[in-house]
Amino acid sequence: MSTTAGIVLPPRPSGRWRRWAGAALVAAITLVTLLPGIGIGFELTSLLENWRNGAERIGRLLVPDWSFFPRTVRPLLETLQMAVIATAVGAGLSLPLSFWAARTTNPGAVGRGIVRAVLNTVRAVPDLLYAAILVAMVGVGALPGILALVLFSVGIIVKLVSEAVEATPTGALEAGRAAGGSQAQVIHALALPDAWPPFVNQTLYMLELNVRAAAVLGLVGAGGIGLLIDQVRSFYRYDQIALIIVELVVIIIVIEAVSGWARRRLV
Amino acid sequence: MTSGANGSAAVPAAEPWGIELKDVTVRYPDGTLGLNGVTLSIAPGEMVAIVGLSGSGKSTLIRAINGLVPVTAGEIAVGGHRVEDAGARALRRLRGEIGMIFQSFNLAGRTSVQNNVLVGRLAHTPAWRTLLGWYRPRDLDLAHRALARVGMLEKLYNRADALSGGQQQRVAIARALAQEPRVLLADEPVASLDPPTAHTVMRDLSAINRDLGITVLVNLHALDLARRYGVRLIGMRAGTVVYDGAATGAGDDVFEQIYDRPIRAEDRVASITGEIGRDASTGEPE
Repeated sequence: MSTTAGIVLPPRPSGRWRRWAGAALVAAITLVTLLPGIGIGFELTSLLENWRNGAERIGRLLVPDWSFFPRTVRPLLETLQMAVIATAVGAGLSLPLSFWAARTTNPGAVGRGIVRAVLNTVRAVPDLLYAAILVAMVGVGALPGILALVLFSVGIIVKLVSEAVEATPTGALEAGRAAGGSQAQVIHALALPDAWPPFVNQTLYMLELNVRAAAVLGLVGAGGIGLLIDQVRSFYRYDQIALIIVELVVIIIVIEAVSGWARRRLV
Repeated sequence: MTSGANGSAAVPAAEPWGIELKDVTVRYPDGTLGLNGVTLSIAPGEMVAIVGLSGSGKSTLIRAINGLVPVTAGEIAVGGHRVEDAGARALRRLRGEIGMIFQSFNLAGRTSVQNNVLVGRLAHTPAWRTLLGWYRPRDLDLAHRALARVGMLEKLYNRADALSGGQQQRVAIARALAQEPRVLLADEPVASLDPPTAHTVMRDLSAINRDLGITVLVNLHALDLARRYGVRLIGMRAGTVVYDGAATGAGDDVFEQIYDRPIRAEDRVASITGEIGRDASTGEPE
């Protein structure tokens, strides 16, 4: 079917290697999964042997202890507060850093390299680890949790927003420089309007991530609902954990709905 | 900054500046030769059309004049102020006196027409004012007058990306005019526009030169536009000036010499009578 009624298709561009590369990737993953020597030593048979255990717990998770609700309100609010404060502070720090980390708005390779290297380091450390270290430094409570989430937020927002800034056409920036604007003026007058949509998007998404993260920070003593989860878990109160899960799901859904609405209005 | 003949920035109606290039060579980092020993003298208030095929160096010439492209060797002076060895601060001040218009308009699409035109006041506004958005009444007035001049004042609060191409280019001209420039550089200002709109924009540039006396340098690749709107014609090929003379006297033979090949139909933009399509300059987007 390469020729139909006299028309001749041009030769297909080379690129068959992609298919082979894809196949090789699948083969590699299969190998890593199956090889006992490289594998991480888990056996699916334990699922079969312990299924009775698991089923019993799932059964208890399905019946939340609604009477537990009053005790969850304060820690839940604290969790939300931590997430909101950390997102706001993190976003505020991220906005200038994003322009500093983007090639198009910071031609100086040295400053940009330093900002990027620091942020890569910040992003490499998991938020729970930050919280654990910060609890040791500033004591148990919401503060180490908030600080951990701020670091987490800055690492992610700056990366995503600076990439969006770099992907924006640079014509307007050139016009601003040609008109004699300084770097700060050009960024404020010309780069900022284009950076708003990705910035608002990533900040709203960050709020969702921070609520999730804030819920478990309490496991290492960094405030919020996690402290309560840790308590009831040690008493095997799966019904109470179930209630907390339900509450978290509701909060995440509400935030998702609100941020979706805000995104449509603002962007 | 050395002071030239027209150096006083306090003069209310800014006097136009001349441009001097002495043996200017621009070599790009990848080794391409943009300009090869160009020497030019442009008098204050001249209307110059620079023609040449793509890659001839005409865009490099325009960009070297306001320091957007660094010079490898030679000297450039605008209004007596040296460009190539100006420090960052002096260069910004100098650029504040030189308006520039681009092929792709280069507006910030997501902000208002007014904010885009106020970019023309950046060099004359302290950074704290721009950060707070507190422009002086005089700066706002200049922006509004510039927009009125190109007939775009009614779009003041529209978003720039809601305008048609011709309208965007007129806003870009207003942005340059808001600078109260002494020199106006235009890099292929009509190459992205349809023929009737191209003529509208060229008429605007021509009127700016005639009425305000501003020195205008405009890059073009269409020979009929160059002949019609240019007073002085500079032809470029391979980074050198191959023609310099009156635009009106330049026949097809001159352009064949500049292009180094016979003239083709596509070297012209359609005539001004508008046999091609709608008049996009009056057409609204949407």
